[in-house]
Amino acid sequence: MSDEVKIHGRDFTAYRIGGAIAALILGFLLIWQVWELFDDDSLTVPEVHWGAASGEGETDGVEIQSGIIASDVLRARTKLQDERFRSGPSPDAEVPEYVIGGGPRLIESPMGEETGVGFTEAWAQMDGETATMVRGPQRVFGISSLPYAGAALFERPDGRNWRFGMADFVTHLGALAILGFSFLLALILAIRGRVPIAKGRSGKTVKRFGFLERANHWMTAVSFLGLALTGLVIAYGDTVIRPFGEPLLGDLGWLSTWGHVLFFPTFTLGVLFMILKWTWGNLPSRLDIQWLKRGGGFFSDDPDNPPARKFNAGQKLIFWSAVIGGLIMIGTGITLMFPFYWLDLEGMSWVMLIHAGIAVMLIAIFIGHIYIGTVGMQGAIEAMWGGKVDRNWAEEHHELWLAEIEDGTARREGSR
Amino acid sequence: MARLKFLCDTERCIECNACATVCKNEHEVPWGMVRRRVVTINDGEPGEKSVAISCMHCTDAPCVAVCPVSTLYQTDLGIVLHDKDTCIGCGYCYYACPFGAPQFPRSTLFGTRGTMDKCTYCAGGPEENGSEEEFRKYGRNRIAEGKLPICAEVCSTRALLAGDGETIGEIYRERVIARGFGSGAWGWSSAYYPDDRG
Repeated sequence: MSDEVKIHGRDFTAYRIGGAIAALILGFLLIWQVWELFDDDSLTVPEVHWGAASGEGETDGVEIQSGIIASDVLRARTKLQDERFRSGPSPDAEVPEYVIGGGPRLIESPMGEETGVGFTEAWAQMDGETATMVRGPQRVFGISSLPYAGAALFERPDGRNWRFGMADFVTHLGALAILGFSFLLALILAIRGRVPIAKGRSGKTVKRFGFLERANHWMTAVSFLGLALTGLVIAYGDTVIRPFGEPLLGDLGWLSTWGHVLFFPTFTLGVLFMILKWTWGNLPSRLDIQWLKRGGGFFSDDPDNPPARKFNAGQKLIFWSAVIGGLIMIGTGITLMFPFYWLDLEGMSWVMLIHAGIAVMLIAIFIGHIYIGTVGMQGAIEAMWGGKVDRNWAEEHHELWLAEIEDGTARREGSR
Repeated sequence: MARLKFLCDTERCIECNACATVCKNEHEVPWGMVRRRVVTINDGEPGEKSVAISCMHCTDAPCVAVCPVSTLYQTDLGIVLHDKDTCIGCGYCYYACPFGAPQFPRSTLFGTRGTMDKCTYCAGGPEENGSEEEFRKYGRNRIAEGKLPICAEVCSTRALLAGDGETIGEIYRERVIARGFGSGAWGWSSAYYPDDRG
């Protein structure tokens, strides 16, 4: 390592302690998430017990027995639908038990999850007699004389596939990506420390981003955070917020549904402006391959980072994630705001899945962007905050860009 | 415990729509929504069949699994119920439903489509059984009175059967043997036997 290095990443002790604490917490959350993947609780299980009320509107406390009576009541009533010679009505026949009033009233009470699993598993077992009469799953559409949207649909087994895609695949994959990536970054901060301005601050600054660019960046950023947080409430509220009460989850969910839409216009505006302003500088170039091969010089404190113009390959990846991901989110989002206007049920299902899948990926990617722009790299935040960066920072990370602007400044000064 | 199901005998259904009508009336289902429908397949062609469909109250119900706000829940009789106070109108349940059962008052701009409504198996909702509030939000609670869904009990041809799955299965099988033909229990595989999917 050259002697010019005055500041080392490992010197940022406070940051590293913070990183270690964050890594510890995120590590636990990650383990919890992995456990959630395999804990087999993806089955829908009954949460409410039906029982026969004894007397004053209370079940008699014995769950099984009150359930048996409730079942008897309903079975007796079911039998009324049998062939008429068997089920009556006939004045001579005996009055069947329970079926015409006078039986106990049935009431609901909460039940334990453990018992619930047994119910679902038992229901899913098909006995031999049932097997003789069950039709296989098939997609069935007909016509209906009822004037309702979607009334002609009888059966679409794909519904269960959508549930798998949403509740199992996207949700778990997203949690793994978000928590896993955050954990990795926290670990890097703890071990490697910040990426320093190796030569120390020069005291001289160069202008990097104009007011309009910064204003637009922060407008898009705030909108993205708003969209991400409201979206996360909808995606993970069932796991994270539900333990604090179902009404709270309902209220937050309602706020999120409307809030999600409110952040949409500014986000769209921001992404479109970014495309206009930054696409030129983010077109891929040969330098990017070299930059990526050397990992952007991320892990060394050496000031000799791979050369880059205004945007290096890492920043370009972030830019294109924002643009491509953002446009997909905007496109699918607008479609979701106009349900069934131009897509049918299957089309809408795919759009919803894509919207959720890209969303969790974007959140994971932009956690990386937020990291490197704040705690991950010394001096980086200044570019987007005040618009001016330290000359040494510019030299270390964007030497070709610095040369360009200094050359330009020199030429302008010379011509004066 | 009994496991409540619906079974529609397509050889008997005559598309009279009494089930749909009586349901709307019994529960005072709001304008624009329908909890039970009759679908006709191959209309006007040989092999025409009609079949009534509503929420089937699935095993391992997909709507409950995808609901982001715990609006949907299942009871140990198999009935899937919903809580209108927490519903955010996101429509996930509609995407996950194999039978198009969830209904929304609006399909208009900007995401939320109003509070979802669907068949309750005539079992009301989380409110106190038989209360006015329960009736206003979910309709009549017949299960609490020991009665079965009115759509099936009103069916003049007894095509639509409701109640304990084993019992209605027996009634149906016996019927098929007696008359010599039957096209099976429509929708049962998607609804009740998720492991059976091909």
